[in-house]
Amino acid sequence: MKIGVYFCKCGTNISDKIDPGKIRETLVQQYPGIHFSTMDFMCSEEGKEAIEKDIGENNVERVVIAACSPRDHEATFMRVLSKAGLNPYLMQMVNIREQIAWVTADPDRAVEKAGRYLRSAVNRVQLHDPLEKKEIEICPDVLVIGAGPAGLKTALTIAGSGRKVVLVEKSPVIGGMPVRYEELFPNMECGPCMLEPLMGDILHGEYAENIELLTMAEVTGVVGSYGNFVAKISQRPRFVDMHTCIGCAECIEPCPVSAKNTFNYNLNERRAISFPFAGALPGAPFIDEKLCISLQGGECRKCQESCPVEGAIIFDDREKVFERNIGAILIAVGSDLYDCTKIPNLGYGRFGNVYTSNEFERIMASNGPTDGEIRTTAGSAPTSVAIVHCVGSLDPKHKEYCSGICCQYAFKFNHIIEKKLPGTNISHFYKELAIPGKEDFSLYNHARSNPHATFIRYGDIQDLSVAGDEAGMVIEYLDIHGKSGKVAADIIVLCPAVVPAEESGKLGAVLETALDRFGFFEELHGRLDSAQSKIKGVFLAGTCQSPMDIQKSMNQGMAAAGYILSGLVAGRKLEIQPVNAEVDEERCSGCRVCVAVCPYKAISFDSEKKVAIVNDVLCQGCGTCVAACPAAAIKGNHFTNAEILAEIKEVLR
Amino acid sequence: MTPEKTVPTDMVFEPKIIGFLCNWCSYAGADKAGTAQSLYPSNVNIIRVMCSGRIDPQFVMKAFEQGADGVIILACHPGDCHYKEGNYRAVQRYRLLLRMLEPFGIEKERCRFDFVSAGEGDKFVKVITEMVAAVRALGPLKIPA
Repeated sequence: MKIGVYFCKCGTNISDKIDPGKIRETLVQQYPGIHFSTMDFMCSEEGKEAIEKDIGENNVERVVIAACSPRDHEATFMRVLSKAGLNPYLMQMVNIREQIAWVTADPDRAVEKAGRYLRSAVNRVQLHDPLEKKEIEICPDVLVIGAGPAGLKTALTIAGSGRKVVLVEKSPVIGGMPVRYEELFPNMECGPCMLEPLMGDILHGEYAENIELLTMAEVTGVVGSYGNFVAKISQRPRFVDMHTCIGCAECIEPCPVSAKNTFNYNLNERRAISFPFAGALPGAPFIDEKLCISLQGGECRKCQESCPVEGAIIFDDREKVFERNIGAILIAVGSDLYDCTKIPNLGYGRFGNVYTSNEFERIMASNGPTDGEIRTTAGSAPTSVAIVHCVGSLDPKHKEYCSGICCQYAFKFNHIIEKKLPGTNISHFYKELAIPGKEDFSLYNHARSNPHATFIRYGDIQDLSVAGDEAGMVIEYLDIHGKSGKVAADIIVLCPAVVPAEESGKLGAVLETALDRFGFFEELHGRLDSAQSKIKGVFLAGTCQSPMDIQKSMNQGMAAAGYILSGLVAGRKLEIQPVNAEVDEERCSGCRVCVAVCPYKAISFDSEKKVAIVNDVLCQGCGTCVAACPAAAIKGNHFTNAEILAEIKEVLR
Repeated sequence: MTPEKTVPTDMVFEPKIIGFLCNWCSYAGADKAGTAQSLYPSNVNIIRVMCSGRIDPQFVMKAFEQGADGVIILACHPGDCHYKEGNYRAVQRYRLLLRMLEPFGIEKERCRFDFVSAGEGDKFVKVITEMVAAVRALGPLKIPA
């Protein structure tokens, strides 16, 4: 086997300390057949061409590169091998610059060490296998779970590239939380107005035919991996045909059943057939199966009778199950708010005039339960409103993190209350204030300059106590300076911590995607890769990953779209890097230790063959399973036991 | 700092040490020391693996068997592993390794584990220097027959 050793002088960076002549001597002594060549700058164009030529002319079959760190130029020289017609993995690089020449005081010792390293590399490279990249066919289509801002934006972007998007939404309405908010921070933009163009494009836009929207649906199973997933989606019956229904709402009034409207947090009533709220999209109502007389076996056809369109209301609608092939999945299921009854001193659930921020958003919304009028339960306009920030946030007893958005919407509330009810006394109780960004100071400044607004900083949420009755409440407090006081409040708005959505756990289990210690979906890397989950091909966007505002959610969705569009391209196969793990089925005893240690869930157990199987697409080549296998049945390509042991043996000679 | 300045070179014991370094943090940390041209003893022979999770305890035992006087395993800091949790596996295996060394009469100081990040060139130099000094103080490894 002809081994070529290429020694880079790196100008004088290496050769000043390590004399290539001496290295050649020691190598030839042990490996007389080697071909040794010295160059000035091997990474230069001339250097690369010279190696390529030299490999050909001398029939070199294996290459050792003695130069800088493989972290710098391993890929460079692998490409040189490819150009020379050699398999690029038949190369071993020896780091004689960063790890010898630059760090060893004594040239004799540097030469000695370089000699050891090079002998070891020559010994190792003889064992190298020519490894080939594998290629697999992929499906470029995408499953987006959650039709809030992040999901909508991502779905549109991907659909715009001509791919199919399956957009799954658990509720009957799209637009997520902000579509329910009358105005949004930081610029008091109208929520529905901002999102309607997006939703319109999803339903009827240029690329709408690429988007399959499944409302009232959830993902119940996923098999496969990046590039080739199969998702099982089950859709609850809407009992209204979205394509036939013209959204005229003629059916609503005749419905004789009335019940609390969950979309308005039970603050008003809705019929068994209803829209979640005025202007909700898709523009077709839905029937609540549990409320509908007909669906509960009774005799009622009032909605159907009043419907001007034949076939829009379908009482025999049933649950549907879909299977869709997709290459990537985006999770954008949003979040919930912390349960305020866990902080009973704030009176939530005890007093009708204590609201969560989401409830208050609906009260302020013109399509909400009070048509946008702020009224107490007694029906009068409040003269005082208290807004409690950091409810459950920044609190080790509840949620340790800052939810990041509450201060900004709290100051938005201040702005709206002042606009709707000028002169109302507004008290902000806060633990910390967080108003980052270039636009967000404006609402804060506005609140600070409101002569009717007071700011009280508390140290512990337990230092606030709500007393009184429906006619009027009083907040007794102890502030951070130890001063106690009382503030009257006709309405109290709580800003609860943003917490993971209830369904996150279930969905995480279905997708085998890890949750962090708070229950949010765990990102691959907090700064580098927050739009990717730890499962390849499963992406994250919005508040299911961490509390964040609309801007960040949209950006994260777009980041995910970028990954998907560049990683999965129609007609292009997915390249699989060959430095990965390979199971020798003959040796595998089926103990499944490897299955447990794989951080990527790349190893599964074939219960028929009773052996472990590595999924090449998911395997990242870390080798943890290789080290764990008690039967040495897993080979870590390019870092095999034999290769590493050869290196150890020679370096110790 | 190096003892050869005060003692004739042929009288100083130069230990042979194997260092297993993960590619992403510790190997990069060693490169960082290189870029900073920080000098350290040449006794440690670095073997690069992609992840500290790849380090099979048998590599360490083989190294001792074949003449290493010490072995050092360097990994990413907790939470920093490029492969998410390979460094935790490495720690677990290291703990087991220490228990295996004793029956062979190998002092536990001959096998060290530490975390070195890609930015910690200085820490790398410190850890290597300490390791060489510690093994030098122990003298050559003699595995009882």
